[in-house]
Amino acid sequence: MSIDRHPIENFLYREARFMDEHAYDEWLALWTEDALYWVPANEDDIDPQRHVSIVYENKARLEDRIARLKSGAAYAQDPKSRLRRVISNIEIKESENGELTVYSNFNLTALRRSRMETFAGCTIHTLRPEGDSFKIAYKKVMLINNDEVINNMTFLI
Amino acid sequence: MKTTRAEIDYSALVQEDRVHGSAYTDPDIFADEMTKIFHRGWVYVGHASEVPQPGDFRVTTIGQQSVIMVQDEDGQVQLLLNRCAHRANAVCQTERGNTQLFRCAYHGWTYRTNGDLLGVTYQDRYDESFRKQDYGLRKVPRTEMYRGFIFGSLNPVGISLDEHLGQPVKEQIDLFTDLSPEGELDVTAGVHKYGYRANWKFQVENGMDGYHPNFVHRTFFASVQRKTGANLTDLFSSGSIGQTRDLGHGHVMLDFRAYNKEKGTGLRAVLPTTPGGQAYVDALEKRYGKERSAEILLSGGTHLLVFPNLALIGVQIRVIRPLKVDETEVFLYPTLLKGVPLEMNAARLRGHEAFYGPAGGGATDDLEMFERNQLGLSAQVDPWLLLARGLHKESQDSDGTLVGQMTDEVTQRGIWRQWKKMMSQCEEAPSRQRARSGMQQAR
Repeated sequence: MSIDRHPIENFLYREARFMDEHAYDEWLALWTEDALYWVPANEDDIDPQRHVSIVYENKARLEDRIARLKSGAAYAQDPKSRLRRVISNIEIKESENGELTVYSNFNLTALRRSRMETFAGCTIHTLRPEGDSFKIAYKKVMLINNDEVINNMTFLI
Repeated sequence: MKTTRAEIDYSALVQEDRVHGSAYTDPDIFADEMTKIFHRGWVYVGHASEVPQPGDFRVTTIGQQSVIMVQDEDGQVQLLLNRCAHRANAVCQTERGNTQLFRCAYHGWTYRTNGDLLGVTYQDRYDESFRKQDYGLRKVPRTEMYRGFIFGSLNPVGISLDEHLGQPVKEQIDLFTDLSPEGELDVTAGVHKYGYRANWKFQVENGMDGYHPNFVHRTFFASVQRKTGANLTDLFSSGSIGQTRDLGHGHVMLDFRAYNKEKGTGLRAVLPTTPGGQAYVDALEKRYGKERSAEILLSGGTHLLVFPNLALIGVQIRVIRPLKVDETEVFLYPTLLKGVPLEMNAARLRGHEAFYGPAGGGATDDLEMFERNQLGLSAQVDPWLLLARGLHKESQDSDGTLVGQMTDEVTQRGIWRQWKKMMSQCEEAPSRQRARSGMQQAR
């Protein structure tokens, strides 16, 4: 009841816009130093120590991802995907250490080489308050098609 | 039989130093590939460790045919066609799981996990000539296994798997598997599934192309160098002493051993700084002895294509699944090593994810190249693709394999030689004719 939803929603919308517009540096700046970014493969709840993920990255690996995308030689994003996503169904849970666990759904349309594709799923963010905004300490993206063939998902999800 | 169109002259399409673009674009050739390569030869199906318990199954394909790989009640791995013997309904709907029997939902027939027909609903409306033993799930005519790798052939006769693989391929599968101090892989770590809109052979060839990495993967190599100081571009330059190798029957590899030996690179180099690295070396030496362990670590796995649909690359088992002439799926199964600490297997997974999978930083750039290839093939004033690189410098090694330099097209030539051989078989293999006439006699 006491949680003000607006700053949290605004944060998620801003992150979505950075991803849609390939604003790589701005997106990377949203993460904490001890961040974990996770997109499980095959099932939503796997043990990442013994099951492969689509993405399982700490901050250093995220920096690699962004450096690659910015290099101009990441051919899978040349041409770039055109992206727009809708973030909705936001539910917020406050934990004792002041961090927020935020559940949301997304629906993303991606266009590349004349092919339109839809990606959808549920995202869990752990947001850590910092100044008058937040940083992402943890983000888990549960794609509804994480056990299906995916052609090219080298944009930010 | 539909054999109305003119026979294609495959020897004209594949020459020593070039291949015709129609081999990647012609739907008739694709249909012919399914018949002559995938529905007649040996095809990799799965790994025994994927179905460790009785009743464990996984649905996959041989060419375009749906196949169930299942461990039956007696502990045998069976390859069963996923088709009810009654009205052809697929009896298994989920990709993986465990079951006591397969039940066809359409009219309720049930099958045991060894394929035997168990129950027929309202059997009283068949006469006494109806025998349940005639209507089990059809089996893949030949199923054979090497070190847990299960292959099937829809052809009831032909060369054995042993002969198809040959000693050099078996040695590479051994090197890949013997990275485990127990000599066994665990293929239960899930699967990366990706696809692309281009011909299946681009993935087959590219995995064994030592010429492209410095161009397509330079962003990945740059990040490796930034973090570790290792310069991988050396390995894939024309000055590298790394090798390309043709092992026969279309099986080819990139051979890093000479390079690793000279430079002290590869798995051996990273083990001293890997947690548990020394314990791992000790465990290997305990099982295999010092000399063999050194050989295993020098190789650090393999980089092998087993024609037509299997590759062992990095930690992964890669399966290439042709869908249409210009549409392909690729499944990557990262392997875990039995007998090593959890952290070491987790490190294998993290290393794999960095490069592979639909969001990875390497293989996705390859997929883009394949789609650009398919676009380029539409330009047909000169329809040829070159295979000539290093042709004049190819040599034969003491084990009979053909060897070239890392950036040579020894591997592509080996793949196409086998392709031409299999595609030039007559429309219907004599073995199939024999099998058919045998079936008629049985009636």
